[in-house]
Amino acid sequence: MKQIQGSFIRGFVTIVVSGHMPEMFFQECVRRGITVWNIKRENKKTCSGNVKLSDLREVKRIRREFQYKISFRERKGFPFLFSRFFRRKEFVLSFIASIFFILFMSNIIWKVEITGELPKEIEEKISKQLNEYGVHPGAWIFTLDPPGKIQQKLTEDIPELLWVGVHQKGTTYHLEGVEKIVVKEDKVEGPRNIVAAKKGVIKRMYVSKGLPIVSINDYVEPGKVLVSGILNEVDNNAGNEDGKDKKKPVKVAAEGEIIASTWYEVDVTIPLKKNYELLTGKKEKKYFLGFNNFTFPVWGFGKPEFEAIHYDSNQTPIKFLRWELPIFIKETTLSEKQYHEIVRTHEEAVEAGIKQAKEELQLQLGPEAKIVSEKILHESVENGKVKLYLYMTVEENIAKAQPITQGD
Amino acid sequence: MSKLQQRLRPWLVKYLSLPSDVVMELPRMTIIGQLHVYIENHKGLSVFTDNELRLKTTKGYIQIKGSSFVLKMMLPEEILLEGKITEVKFIPA
Repeated sequence: MKQIQGSFIRGFVTIVVSGHMPEMFFQECVRRGITVWNIKRENKKTCSGNVKLSDLREVKRIRREFQYKISFRERKGFPFLFSRFFRRKEFVLSFIASIFFILFMSNIIWKVEITGELPKEIEEKISKQLNEYGVHPGAWIFTLDPPGKIQQKLTEDIPELLWVGVHQKGTTYHLEGVEKIVVKEDKVEGPRNIVAAKKGVIKRMYVSKGLPIVSINDYVEPGKVLVSGILNEVDNNAGNEDGKDKKKPVKVAAEGEIIASTWYEVDVTIPLKKNYELLTGKKEKKYFLGFNNFTFPVWGFGKPEFEAIHYDSNQTPIKFLRWELPIFIKETTLSEKQYHEIVRTHEEAVEAGIKQAKEELQLQLGPEAKIVSEKILHESVENGKVKLYLYMTVEENIAKAQPITQGD
Repeated sequence: MSKLQQRLRPWLVKYLSLPSDVVMELPRMTIIGQLHVYIENHKGLSVFTDNELRLKTTKGYIQIKGSSFVLKMMLPEEILLEGKITEVKFIPA
């Protein structure tokens, strides 16, 4: 029976043979290696039997050699079902339409989930921000930025978030946020001194609590006590009664701001020639439908009118249910760029170097420090670069709290 | 030569106990009740009607009689007959 197996899949035909001794026709078929089954004698002159669709050509060849008449009665199997299916246009159309529908649905966001232990208001803020980016149920997935970019944007736009993880899981966007808990700087509680954090010459002092030990224009080394927290107050009551100058130390938390002039030595090198690219802001977008390495333009034809182009591509695969198809949509942004070349004179280079050094130092010291003056200690030109050795004077707060260790 | 072979074959079957249907080119028939007859090693169909099947063999014919016969499967040397079998007969040529 193995020979008949699978005949429904590949299709078979019931043929009716008529003529003298019709069974001999099947005998001839079998002799040539055609499998025949369910042979029935209909009446004296006719016989019916099943033949595979693939053997039909051979059967027709045998018929030409003999004087039998053959008619086809039934066609069964998938090939016939398929042809009947494809003859009906509505079926085919609706089938294609449904595939496109699923394709369409698979590329839409259905759900945006925010997890993590976040307060309600931050959660709302996130969903509002996401709406602004276009991440909301019903949005096309391939018009959105990749999750990494959304992640970056979210952490930038919502300062309360310490970290946010954005994962795309099929048609849902999973967001996991961690709130930033603003921890106040640990203040030294209890009695304390103010000591110098850096070496410098004191310029101004504002002491609100405590006993200043140094005075303006004093040079201090790091660690030196500037404002003491131990006050030697006269205990008035005791002094009056006993008639004795009895001093009792009182410990307080010293507070104050000590502005000192400090100095830094900085090295900078500035090239005399500099090349850089700048985007002008003119841009065009092109869309491609891609398959493997082959891309087919869908939208945005022709060359842009600018010559120097910066390409920025972004690929989004199209999904079918949960599988990613090998087809993808590629969005390419072409932006015009300009090449700039700067040739600086020696003086300009030095100026740029000083500016750069100042900026770097300001960044290092924080916004409260003030750079007062700078001086070039040494300069040299090497390999088209100006090397500067700068001396900078800065006025900044050098106060640092230090607890007074109790004797007990 | 063929004469020698014909004398040699029964001897092979008898003393080496080789299967007789293979060695002597005889048809092998499997009958399941009155329902099926499975015939191997036949030499071709000669008559097939609703109530009779006649097959050629090396030494004559096999005649099977009954009613409502259907050839369930037909291959070059095998045949599967279905129907109500009443009679199996060997007709020497």
